[in-house]
Amino acid sequence: MSADYADLCSAILEQCFGKVVQSVADCLFSATTRTLSQIVSSTNFSRKEVGLALSVLIKFRLVNFEPSKSNAYLPEYSLRREDVICLLRYSRYIHLVQSKYGNVGASIAEELLNSGSDTATSILLKCLSNGENKSETAESYKNILLKMIADHYIIKSPELITSEEGDDLVPRFLTNECDFFVPPIIDLQLLAKIQKGESTLSNAQDSAMVWHLNYDRFHQEFRDDIMKIAIERKLGENAAECFRFILNIMYNTTDPWQRRVSNQVTYVEIKQTIERKSNNLDLLKHLDQYIALITDDSLGFLRKVGDMGGGQYVVDMESSFESLAFACVESVITERFGSKAARIFRVIRFKKFIEQEDLQKEAMIPAKEAKSLAYNLFQEQFIHVKVIKKAGGGGSGPAKAFYLFQIKTKDTVRMLLDVCYKALYNIIRRSNFEKSEHKGLIEKSQRLDSIVETMKERGESEDYIAEIVETFTPPECEILNKVKHRIKTLSKAELTLDDTIFLLQMYQHHCTTLPTGIQKFK
Amino acid sequence: MAGRGRGGKTGSLTAEQMQALGCVGKDMPQVQSAPPPTFPPVLNKPITLETTTAQSYQLLWKEDFLNRMRDSPYYIISASQEKKKTDVKDWREKAIQRLKHRAQAEFNYKAMPRELNSTSRKRTAAELRPKQVAKKNKNIEDRLKQLEQKELKSGAGAGGDNDNDEAKQESDSEREDEQEDPEAALDDEMDEENDYANDYFDNGEAYNEEDDNMDDGPVY
Repeated sequence: MSADYADLCSAILEQCFGKVVQSVADCLFSATTRTLSQIVSSTNFSRKEVGLALSVLIKFRLVNFEPSKSNAYLPEYSLRREDVICLLRYSRYIHLVQSKYGNVGASIAEELLNSGSDTATSILLKCLSNGENKSETAESYKNILLKMIADHYIIKSPELITSEEGDDLVPRFLTNECDFFVPPIIDLQLLAKIQKGESTLSNAQDSAMVWHLNYDRFHQEFRDDIMKIAIERKLGENAAECFRFILNIMYNTTDPWQRRVSNQVTYVEIKQTIERKSNNLDLLKHLDQYIALITDDSLGFLRKVGDMGGGQYVVDMESSFESLAFACVESVITERFGSKAARIFRVIRFKKFIEQEDLQKEAMIPAKEAKSLAYNLFQEQFIHVKVIKKAGGGGSGPAKAFYLFQIKTKDTVRMLLDVCYKALYNIIRRSNFEKSEHKGLIEKSQRLDSIVETMKERGESEDYIAEIVETFTPPECEILNKVKHRIKTLSKAELTLDDTIFLLQMYQHHCTTLPTGIQKFK
Repeated sequence: MAGRGRGGKTGSLTAEQMQALGCVGKDMPQVQSAPPPTFPPVLNKPITLETTTAQSYQLLWKEDFLNRMRDSPYYIISASQEKKKTDVKDWREKAIQRLKHRAQAEFNYKAMPRELNSTSRKRTAAELRPKQVAKKNKNIEDRLKQLEQKELKSGAGAGGDNDNDEAKQESDSEREDEQEDPEAALDDEMDEENDYANDYFDNGEAYNEEDDNMDDGPVY
């Protein structure tokens, strides 16, 4: 957790929930846990407002609470810092669901995101009443919801323990790993009754079962996509399909977030699965070649570890994300310092430790240029220097020492991640600035649009409408278009940056032992 | 010797280190004497990105989502901020604002600590008060009836019994009061506002305070 990440979280929360939530979250970010009165005293908002802000944060599952160790009646709050950035990924989640389950799935996921967590019946009700897809029946909504649960995209929240005394000051929850994905019983007849107003939501059988989106399942899908696309671009479609099957087989025996390498997969298993599920004859015919191709590739996604069962393989997450992350670092260096700097970086990475003079020779770059490029890379902390002192030297003159360039991979990635956080923060700030600077203009155009629309509905004459439209002068129009274009560019940059952040986070998860907040179930 | 003190990670090198790294004479970079500018010039222009269909879907959704959040009841505006805004706005915008905030926030307060629920506490307080008022009214009516009876009696009967009667009646009504009251008393006890045990929290500062006093010397 860096200061840049703290700024970013603060900006994201301000964008979504306003100033009060922002300062409450800031206060929570800087501490492990806080009590309500501590937050009230450090934020200068009223107790009621802070309470409301905390409720919002709990509703959107960004804050956890626990009874204090010294006083069981006093709840302490803590921010789920890693989850704040997920707010930026909502659009990606929706897009994934949309491409997998169609519009019905997207509207279910949307309702879940809007409400944080909810019961199945209530979600279906909201989807049906919003009615974006009128043609769909409750039946199809129900089936897709159940399918999403079965595919682990939706997960059951911990169940509330109701004590005999009625309500506790701090509610307690029961987490049972066995029934995270047990489908709920949804009574469609009751659903229809509620829709007609003959019954209420409290009569539903599943009122105790609350569901929410399982972010890490989405992240798993994104991660697999990164790997598949990498293989597809390097080795072609058939190899990518082959790797997709290998990943599927891997998940039978491996925890998706196992850090370094997966459990073993045998050649026979792969072959049988592909024979059963695929009708790609080309792939089947040359399967062993494709597997050999993936294994021998420099990306190092697959590694052969034994000969049992026609060959045993493991998916090497560590080496795959190391090569992917450093491909990204190299492209950043290419864009910032040019391709010669990228070559220097590659040489250092390949040689592990190298002296300045050898560096020039190895990279085949003129001495002076190599020096300044290496110095720039060092200044921006992409590369590091290791000093090896020679023993002795006494008091006379400087002792001999070697200065070797090296790359501390974890430090470099961490630095880049912080740069990304900072850039994302800057983007959000800038686009807020643009919006507030041209607020009048944007609002005017919106008002004009709505007026024109109602006029068209009323069927007024074209000339009259054109006259109204002309009140928006050409220079104003020009400025507005420019602003809109700028905001669009910024938000596109936001999306792209988040891709990079995600890749680097995956590197941190698979190649280091740092705590990353990714668990199998949350 | 290189690396004076503990400055290993400052990112700058001593002259000797520079020499060893090959930065001599003219190659030496300028020593920075001023803080870098807030907006340093961009050396190379970043390439423009192409928008894929997936991205444009996400962009649209995101903008929609942010707008929805801004109009939702979960976008909390502090009372002090709102005051400032309403000063400037005219009635039309205020009306729009009110329309926007029409949607009610939904919270599952059962799954949250009770201290966050500001509405439930009010409700219990509101329910309690009318009850007590009603009880009192009833009592007053009873009492008026009794007084009426008493008056009738006293008008008819002798004056000597009067005091006794009154005393008896009084004690009767008091007893009735007591009979009815326990509920109210219980309610009062249950009222959270008075239950200091809930909020009581000893931070341990008072612990060992006596010792501190002892340091000041004995008390004569």
